[in-house]
Amino acid sequence: MAAVEGTARPPAWAVVAGQELRDLWLGGRGLLLSLAFSGLLSVLSYLVATNTALNFLEQRESVNLTLQVAIAVGAMLALLAGADAVSGERERGSLESLLLTPVSRLQLTGGKLLAALSLWVAAYIVTIPYVWFLGRGVGIVGVALATGALVGTLLAVFLVSLGVLVSIFAGSNRVSLSVSLFALLALFAPTQFPTSAQQGWAGDLFLRANPLTAGEHYVGKIVVDGHPWSQDASWLVSPVASAALFAILAAFAGARFMRLSGDVSK
Amino acid sequence: MSASVEARGVRKEYGGLVAVEDLTFAVDRGEILGVLGPNGAGKTTAIRVLTTILAPTRGTFVVAGVPHTRPADIRRQIGVLPESAGYPELQTGEEYVRYHARLFGHSRASARAVAHTLLAEAGLRERGRSPIGSYSRGMRQRLGIARALVNEPQVVVLDEPTLGLDPAGQRQVLALVRRIARERGATVLLSTHLLAEVEETCSRVLILNHGRVAAEGTVAEVSRQAAAPRSARLRVPADAVPDALRILASVRGVRAAEPAEGQPGTLALGFEENQASGPANDALCALADAGVSVLFFELEGARLSDAFLAMTEAA
Repeated sequence: MAAVEGTARPPAWAVVAGQELRDLWLGGRGLLLSLAFSGLLSVLSYLVATNTALNFLEQRESVNLTLQVAIAVGAMLALLAGADAVSGERERGSLESLLLTPVSRLQLTGGKLLAALSLWVAAYIVTIPYVWFLGRGVGIVGVALATGALVGTLLAVFLVSLGVLVSIFAGSNRVSLSVSLFALLALFAPTQFPTSAQQGWAGDLFLRANPLTAGEHYVGKIVVDGHPWSQDASWLVSPVASAALFAILAAFAGARFMRLSGDVSK
Repeated sequence: MSASVEARGVRKEYGGLVAVEDLTFAVDRGEILGVLGPNGAGKTTAIRVLTTILAPTRGTFVVAGVPHTRPADIRRQIGVLPESAGYPELQTGEEYVRYHARLFGHSRASARAVAHTLLAEAGLRERGRSPIGSYSRGMRQRLGIARALVNEPQVVVLDEPTLGLDPAGQRQVLALVRRIARERGATVLLSTHLLAEVEETCSRVLILNHGRVAAEGTVAEVSRQAAAPRSARLRVPADAVPDALRILASVRGVRAAEPAEGQPGTLALGFEENQASGPANDALCALADAGVSVLFFELEGARLSDAFLAMTEAA
């Protein structure tokens, strides 16, 4: 092989992630999604901060609402990028060329997963000025941003891994995106349940087991109720466990089942 | 196993469907092996097995000295242009080749140098910085071949590289294939439907039909094996036709000689079964001895295309 020996080279997953990032951001897709996300946050911030008819929220609640929307939408963007990672390459006919390189499928999966996470990072960065604007003066900006970073990153890792996992086994990119979005909607559904359904030990267990509701509940406790970080830490069990479990599952499935066809029997 | 590529009894099945059965062949370093077969014959599956994209259900193979049990090591030694390869439309050709060079372990600087060299070799130097989306199909195929060479492979596998190309594009790609074998000393496995070009380009051929090897050997061996020359067409001056027919009727091994459609003076000859080129030579000699000019002569049934049709239609 003609590779220059002795020259320091980055690991293959970093090369894959680098190229995926260039494709995502220089190709314009990432910028477009971030712009749309920024527009959404602008509208939301305008409504909660300036419209007197709707501005019934206390300042902390405004920050919490903005942060929760940012986490949900940012993680959803990352989920979509993850859901396109393998099935998209397969559909565009470019997966075979990647599988023909000596790079392990685990490293290919890792690189794609990291690149997809960049959409959450961008969404978070876009959110910072909105949180600062809405939360200035009540001393919650720092803690809100830190909590948002922690919970949002956990949920983004979980959802990107879920998207990659679906993408590995999906027969087409459309199926991958549909299944991933449906799973996301199913995870968000409990937030729309009546309050009575969210109470009692069953309701509590349900909220805690669902990483999305548990994560958002934790953010609310810190930002709105001003609880210290450790008081409600048990609500982070589900987001942490889901992020770890699904990242491992995606890595395993990528290493073992990333193939030209989504059908594992082939 | 000392050949550059050697397969023994390779079988690949999907569920209950057998796509490739008992694939056995060998090809030496520097040779160009034409892999032929009708649609659905198992060419692409065989190639995907040999390039480690699919695992064989049974059998063994060695590529560039590496056994099939070490797929990652095989991938380091091979360059592949897959059938209907897709390309990232927004990347430039240079960026695309550079990326794959880096996946094969090149440093950033080395990948850039390799990309420049290979794009020039593939005739894409001027378009290296254009987005792939603006490339013609022929340019994409040549880009795919350039990408397949980033690791200086010992074995290059090209699956239908001329598919969908116009004659000029086909000529460019086949010239590139010949150069790869000649200048790099690489073994080339070339899957194509262009039988005439295979005759020109390939030193050996492997004909697959219904997943099995129907024939394997040099182009001449396979042509002979499948279809000995059984007929010929020749043309003599129109006024020499009666003399030519009389002379040909007396040549041993010539079963029939009669005027044929086409230009005036065209004759169709039929030879006895299992007679190779002997009667044809005798017929030409007899005409020459009698002073009859032969303006055109063509043996039918001796070309690779005839062998291909005979083998794939008979099965």
